[in-house]
Amino acid sequence: MGKDVRVQITSGMFTALIVNLVYPKAIGLTQGIMERQAGGDFWLATIFAILQGGLVLLLTVWVVNRLPNRSLAEQADVVLGKWIGKVIHLSLFVFFVGAFGASAISFVYHLMDYFLPDIPIYVFVLAILVVTVYALFHGLEVISRMAIVGVFSILMLNILLLIGSLKDFDVSQLLPVLQSGFTHTLWVSRQHDTDWAVPVAITGLILPYVSKPKEWRSSALVGAFFGGVTVLMWPMLEAGVLSPQETGQYIVACMQMARSAEIGHFIHRYEMIMVAFFGISLLVQLMLCLFGASLSAAKLIGLKDYRPAIVPVALLVGIAAYLLVLDHNWAIIWLADWWPWLAVPVGFGLPILVGLLSLIRYKKIKQLAASGSVAQNA
Amino acid sequence: MAPELQEMLDSKTRVKLAHNTLMMEQILGESADIVRRDLQCGGTDGVPGVLYFVDGLVDERQLEEGILRPLVGLNDASFLRNVEADDQTVIDRLLIHSSISAVDTYQKAVESLLSGDAVLWLDQYASAFVISVRGGDKRSIEEPQTESILRGPRDGFTEHIRTNTALIRRRIKDPSLRIESIIIGERTRTDVNIAYIADLVKPGLVKEVYKRLQRIEIDAVLESGYIEELIEDAPLSPFPTLLGTERPDRVAAGLLEGRLAVLVDNTPFVLLMPTYFWEFFHASDDYYMRYIAGSFFRLIRYLALFISLTLSSLYVLLVSFHQEMIPTQLALTIAAGRESVPFPVLVEVLVMETAFELMREAGIRMPKPVGQAASIVGSLVIGQAAVQAGIVSPIMVIIIAISGISSFVIPNFSASFSIRLMRIPLIIASGTLGLLGFLIVLFMMSVHLLSLRSFGEPYLAPSVPFRPNDQKDSLFRFPWWSMKTRPQMAQSADRQGNNQRPQKPSHQSAGAEDGTS
Repeated sequence: MGKDVRVQITSGMFTALIVNLVYPKAIGLTQGIMERQAGGDFWLATIFAILQGGLVLLLTVWVVNRLPNRSLAEQADVVLGKWIGKVIHLSLFVFFVGAFGASAISFVYHLMDYFLPDIPIYVFVLAILVVTVYALFHGLEVISRMAIVGVFSILMLNILLLIGSLKDFDVSQLLPVLQSGFTHTLWVSRQHDTDWAVPVAITGLILPYVSKPKEWRSSALVGAFFGGVTVLMWPMLEAGVLSPQETGQYIVACMQMARSAEIGHFIHRYEMIMVAFFGISLLVQLMLCLFGASLSAAKLIGLKDYRPAIVPVALLVGIAAYLLVLDHNWAIIWLADWWPWLAVPVGFGLPILVGLLSLIRYKKIKQLAASGSVAQNA
Repeated sequence: MAPELQEMLDSKTRVKLAHNTLMMEQILGESADIVRRDLQCGGTDGVPGVLYFVDGLVDERQLEEGILRPLVGLNDASFLRNVEADDQTVIDRLLIHSSISAVDTYQKAVESLLSGDAVLWLDQYASAFVISVRGGDKRSIEEPQTESILRGPRDGFTEHIRTNTALIRRRIKDPSLRIESIIIGERTRTDVNIAYIADLVKPGLVKEVYKRLQRIEIDAVLESGYIEELIEDAPLSPFPTLLGTERPDRVAAGLLEGRLAVLVDNTPFVLLMPTYFWEFFHASDDYYMRYIAGSFFRLIRYLALFISLTLSSLYVLLVSFHQEMIPTQLALTIAAGRESVPFPVLVEVLVMETAFELMREAGIRMPKPVGQAASIVGSLVIGQAAVQAGIVSPIMVIIIAISGISSFVIPNFSASFSIRLMRIPLIIASGTLGLLGFLIVLFMMSVHLLSLRSFGEPYLAPSVPFRPNDQKDSLFRFPWWSMKTRPQMAQSADRQGNNQRPQKPSHQSAGAEDGTS
C-alpha cells in the first residue's frame, strides 16, 4: 500500500469499518427491493443475509489469517499464480466500481429526491468525488478513524428513528412469516448479500493492516453483529410501522420511514438531521469503495502505491456512477437484477475460492507461513 | 550577519586588555546603553580592568554591591599578579558572586553582555569574566488577560523567562522537573527553555521537540508564535496543534500529564505539546471547581463549539433550501421578518458576519474606552438601524449574535478563531448547495481534523481513536478521586493511590469525641 505500509489500524477501527460498509446502502435501497421480491418476508430475508454475510466474513478472516501478511488477492497470487492473481484484481476492481455506483445511487436519491430536486445530478457526483478523493489521499488510517465517527452517526440515526417511530410499531405487521416460502426468501436474501459483499471484499484487502491478528476474528464478529443489528432494525420498523406493502412502493423506503417519525408536536420533521447522520456513514462507504477500486487498479497495473491511481479511478467511477444514477428506473433495475450477479460471486466467491484452493495447496501455504513471509504491499 | 563581524565574534580572546576592549568596541560600536567602566583593581598598583554592562538590563544594586565595591575597594591585588594565578583564582578570590564564569570567545562575552550580564576584562587575563547581574525593569506578575477563570490562582506568566520558569518550579517541586535551555534567533539570540518531567514524558517526545527546535534557522524570535509556526505538525492547517497559554497552573498540569512546555523569553505565552483538539475547550477551573460544575461548563463550551460552527449555516440552508423542515410557526415568523429584506439569505449572513468581525476587531485594536464605545455603537445602533432599515431581518441579528457569543465562550483565542474561520466555507456551501454543501464541507473538515497530529498524538484523541482510559477527562470531567491514571500520552500511568474517594466518617468518630453528636 505504498506509504501506508507501516499503517496499522486498530481492531476497533476495523469493527467500525465493517459496520459502515454494510449499513448505508442496506437500509437505503435494499429493503425496498427485497420487499418487492419477498413481500412481508423481507425482514426475514435480511436476517438470512446477515447470517450468510457474517459467516463469509469469518471465513475471510480465517483465510487471511493463514498468511496474515498478505491480502486475499495476494494469497491468490501465491496459490494460483500471477496471471490468475491479475484476473482477481481485475474482478475486484470491477466489483468496487459497481459498489461505488450502488452507494452513489443511495446517496444521490436520498438527497435529490427528498431535499434538493433542483440540483443537477452531476453536482452530486462531483461532490462525492471531491470528498472521497480528498479523504483517500489522507490514507487508510484517516478513513478508519472516520469510520468511528460513522458508527456514532449510525447510532444517533437509529436512536432518533426509534424515538420517533416506536410508538407506531405494530408487531402484527411482521406476520405471517415465510408467506413466500423458505427457499424464495433465502433467494431474495441475495439482495442484502450484495451489501455484505462490500465489507467482505474490503476485509480481504485490508486485514494485513489491522493490528493484533489474534483479535481479527472477534473484531469481525462484533462488526458483523453490530452491523447486522443496526441494519435489521430498519426492515422490522418499516414492516411494523409503514407496513410491508408501503415499504415496497418506495425506491428509498427508509426516507419514508424517517419522514413518518416525529417527536412530539413541535419536532414533526427531523429527517434532515437523520439524513445528515446517514450521509456521514454513506460517505465513509463511498470512500472505502473508491479505496478498494484504486488499490485493485494499482495492483492490476503493478503500482506500489495506490495514490497515483486515485484520480484516474475516481474519474472512471464518477462516470460510471453518473450513468447509473441518471435514470431512476435503470438504477433500480441494475441494482435489483444485475448487481447481485456481480457482487455475490466476487464478494462471497473470492474468499470461498481462495479458502478452498488454500486447502488443496495446504503444503505451500504452510511453508510460506513457516518461513514468516514478510509483509507485502497490499 | 556580516562575515567580518562573525569572524571577530568567533575569535579567541587575548591577554592584552587593550586588544580585548578594542575588539569589544569594534563589535558593539557606539551604543548609548552599553556602559564601559574602567577600573583599577587593588589601588594604583593594581590590575587594570574594564567592566561592560547594558544599562537597563542589569540589577544596579547587585552591580554596585557585588562587583564594583569589591573590585574598587580591593587593598591588595598581588594575588592577581602572581604567575600562578588563573581564571579560577579570579572566580574564587576576587569576586564573591553566586554566578560567575570565564569565557574565551568574544561571541560568548557579547552574548552574555546583551543578555544582561556584566562582562569584566582584566589585564593579562585571556578570559572574560561573565557575572550574572540580570535585572532591570520587568512587568510584575499579573492575572492573565486572555484566560480568565472563576476559581484558581491569579498569577500569569510575564515576559521574563526566569520568572516564568520559577512560576512552574514553585508548583512542581519534583527533582525530575527539567528545564533545559536553547538559544534561537541569529540576531535576537532568544532564550528558549524546554520544560518537562523526566519520568513522565515519553523520551521520544523530548528528542522530537529538540530536533524541531534545532532545525530552526531564523534571524529573530520575538514571540512564541514564531516557534509555534516553525515546529507545528500541520503548518497549512487552520487549526492550532500547539496550545499557547499564559497560565502557569495550566502548564504545570500539562507537565504532570507527560507533556512538554516551551517557554520563550519576552513573551508570557508558553507552548504546551502535544495537544488534543478538545483541550482548547477546557479551562483551568474545570479542575478547581467541583466536578459537576466543571463538567457542566465543559458541556456548555462544546455546545458553543457546535453553535459557533454551524448555527449560521444551518439557518442559511433551512431558509434557502429546506423551508419544509422548519416548524410552521417559526417559518412564518422568519418569513415575516424577511419580507422587506432585499438580499438573499446567504448575502445577508455574509454581510452580518463581516460586520461582526469588524466590530470585534475594532473592539480589540482601539484604546479600551473607545473600543467599548465602538462595540456598543456597533452592536446596538448598527444592529437596530439595520433591522429598521430593512437590510437584515431581526432573526438574522439574533443568529449572528448567538454565533458570536458562542465563539467567545471558547476559552482559547486561536481555537475560537479557527472555528470562526471554518464557518465561512460552511455558510457558502450551505447557501449554494443546501444540505449537500453542508454535509460535504463538514465531512471534509472532519477528515482534515482526523488527519492532524500533534507531536505524534492523533489530534482528535481520545475520542477518535477512542481511548477508554482517557474518557474521564474529555467530554466530562470526572471527580479527582476517580481519575486514578494519567492520560495515555504519559510515560507513567499512576497518579494517585487506591480508594481516594472520601468516605463518610464512621458513626462514632464523627462528632462523638467533641460532644456534638
